[in-house]
Amino acid sequence: MNIAGIGIVSARGRGVAALEHALEQGWVPPVEVEARGVACGKVSVYPVTADTLGDKVVLAKARRADRFIRMSVLAAADAVQDSGIGASLDKTRMGIILATALGPHVTTFSFLDGILDFGDAAVSPTAFSHSVHNAAASYIAMTLEVRGPTLTVTHFDFAFHQAVLLAQTWLNDGRCDSVLVGAVDELGAVMQSVCGQMLKPAADGRIKPFAFSTTPESVPGEGAAFFLMTRDTAGVGYGLLEVIEDLPVPSSGGSLQILDACGMARDESAYLAAVMPGISVAAYAPLFGSLLIGSALNAAAAALMMKKQKIYVSPVQENPHGLMICQETKPAPLRDVYCTRLDCVGRRLTLHLGSASLLE
Amino acid sequence: MHDQNKEQQLIEIRAKLKELLVSNLNIEGVTPSQIKDDDALFGEGLGLDSLDAVEIVVILQRHFSVEVKDMEKGREIFRSVNTLANYIYETKHGQG
Amino acid sequence: MAAQKILITGMGVVSAAGMTIPETLTGFAAGIRNLGQTSVSLSPLNLPVFEVVSPLRGSTRASSRTLQLAFHALDEALSNAGLSYDLSGLRVGVCMGTTVASQLNDMDFYTAYRKSGKAPLAPVETFLKSNLATAISREVKARGPCITVVNACSSSADALGVALGWLRNGFCDVAIAGGADELSRIPVCGFSSLSVFSPEPCRPYDRDRQGLNLGEAAGILILEPESIARRRGVNSTMFVGGYGAACDAHHLTAPRPDGSGLETAIRISLIEAGVQSAEISFVNAHGTATRDNDKVEGTVLARLFGEGIKVISTKGFTGHTLGAAGAIEAVFTALALREGWIPASPGFENKDDEIPIGAVREKSGLTGRYALSTSLAFGGNNAAVVIGRTE
Repeated sequence: MNIAGIGIVSARGRGVAALEHALEQGWVPPVEVEARGVACGKVSVYPVTADTLGDKVVLAKARRADRFIRMSVLAAADAVQDSGIGASLDKTRMGIILATALGPHVTTFSFLDGILDFGDAAVSPTAFSHSVHNAAASYIAMTLEVRGPTLTVTHFDFAFHQAVLLAQTWLNDGRCDSVLVGAVDELGAVMQSVCGQMLKPAADGRIKPFAFSTTPESVPGEGAAFFLMTRDTAGVGYGLLEVIEDLPVPSSGGSLQILDACGMARDESAYLAAVMPGISVAAYAPLFGSLLIGSALNAAAAALMMKKQKIYVSPVQENPHGLMICQETKPAPLRDVYCTRLDCVGRRLTLHLGSASLLE
Repeated sequence: MHDQNKEQQLIEIRAKLKELLVSNLNIEGVTPSQIKDDDALFGEGLGLDSLDAVEIVVILQRHFSVEVKDMEKGREIFRSVNTLANYIYETKHGQG
Repeated sequence: MAAQKILITGMGVVSAAGMTIPETLTGFAAGIRNLGQTSVSLSPLNLPVFEVVSPLRGSTRASSRTLQLAFHALDEALSNAGLSYDLSGLRVGVCMGTTVASQLNDMDFYTAYRKSGKAPLAPVETFLKSNLATAISREVKARGPCITVVNACSSSADALGVALGWLRNGFCDVAIAGGADELSRIPVCGFSSLSVFSPEPCRPYDRDRQGLNLGEAAGILILEPESIARRRGVNSTMFVGGYGAACDAHHLTAPRPDGSGLETAIRISLIEAGVQSAEISFVNAHGTATRDNDKVEGTVLARLFGEGIKVISTKGFTGHTLGAAGAIEAVFTALALREGWIPASPGFENKDDEIPIGAVREKSGLTGRYALSTSLAFGGNNAAVVIGRTE
């Protein structure tokens, strides 16, 4: 599958330019917010700012939309815009697959507030209809006038990988000519309280992806990343994308591995065995925060690197296992990027980005 | 005297309604004072839709303790701020 | 499209209409509607719902009621398919649809959070173990792709479509596909607030319908290509012929009035199955009994299949089971084709002048080899599944 365009919304802003800026700039300190139930009463997070979601033009049909929906719509619309081929695409042959781990829980809790505050007979139908997982995909379809299949899927570990796999079947089977596939998760007050208690906070605000710790440190984040996928190599040259289970023996030149370790798993020690020998390794979770769908954000970074033929410095360099971590931002011929994610029992899936020009 | 009192109450209900509509229905680019009493709420007017209609039912319940049992029959009530205010007033005063 | 047929080698279903397939068929033939009122513990709203009241098998190994329902149906499906609970020798994909089970919407959890300001972690741990597809995948030691579809009311029809895609692309040998949803206070309150809840037993397609009843259920289909089934030494006359899906891109809660999204979904499913509309012997309609759904859906069905098409909505037997609806209705559709009859559509008496078709009033024999099951969802998604019988 060809990546024709990407759209991304994170604490570092919106769009490919913001992504590039974040990769250039490196780590920045997270924001401290109040978190109830956590010993110190605070948790460090990477929230998406209100400014980032303030686009009244793209969101013209979304007056009722919550933050989860806004992040989704903006990332999806940007992916189409970024491809430069939006106008030529047949919207009746375009599909949407939105992956999420936790769904629009802020609106779900707001609906529960309605039940508790006003009783079962006086709850908000708007809150209810926006609390279903697929509301965001529906808004994307309405905003972009997409009339093909629209699907929302959920999985705690590999939601985005499964969505990509599915997009592959839609294109292979001729169900669609293009598919907007993406992932989104949001951070709300309840989840901040949960994360604050369940995860070990990174005291210095830095996620340490190469620690491979049995008690990894986290800085919860939120965001969305969408990819416009096509069969043909249309668009702007981000390369090809596929999901693989087994990691190949990499060619020594032009390969990079990105580890999706971000502190959201209870135990990241199994990552050590997943490191590919002989090639550079990087991890960009310290830029965006810890997210169950963080693989999508790392894949967006990988796509940009593929297009720019440039490797960005890995933002946190702590290296207790002596890995070949990317130490500087520099031009580099890139043919393959492997973004590897592990779940808590060590199951592994990898998003493989390959250079389109070399594979053809 | 009674009529003056009624008119005063209706003015207050209409003002409160406009505030609630703008905030609870997330109507953008419109301030409460810009909504005219007789503006059509649905279709060409304010552009509200079927989901807003059921949301207005909840607004009436929560903020005016007024119930709308039958949405089909409620169509006329939902025409404008005026008709909504009249319905609220009459229901509260036992004429509804 | 791939020439190889995707066989249905096992089916399992549990709903208010029956705890097993045989029990469901008996109930269908007799026209029994097991409708009760919402219990106060579920919601003080006194509304009719279709609850599964008999005990569920496998209730001890499941962390949620939705999962219990799913395991109960899985038992029957695996047994029918001649499969054990250890499927590690095959490459098995699991795709399940749900709505309620996807959300951390535990009332006690949230009430505790509001009171103490501290989110209690035990319900979160349970929630993290209860992803429907993951839990089933773990239970049967599946090694293939695994995803939970959360597409509101078309979730499990779409789950069948996902499984078809996996099998056709060789991503797995066997797919466990279906859906499950439990009765929950959240949708009871939610649908009530949308003014689409019927105060009486629902009457799909009837002139005097007043809306839907909610229900709980699970439906599971074991799908595999002919070649794999043959290698395992099993056969089946039933197969999934095609799947179509299309989005309205119109409104979050209202269907597109012209029904063009549903029409596209149906047309694609027919093309995939390689059948003409005249070959469809009946349609198991989404038929929620809301004013909008039945009007739009009935108009589209009449347009595509003619006014004489036999239509049933089994929601009169099960209520609207949300994330389970598409799967249990696919099972019912397959059973009808296999058994050669459809029951009377419960609750339908008087034809609505605004809808060109009505539902079947009495138990009717079938002769054809193909049938269609349709699903319409919140968010404007439409899905259609063609079920076929080989002989």
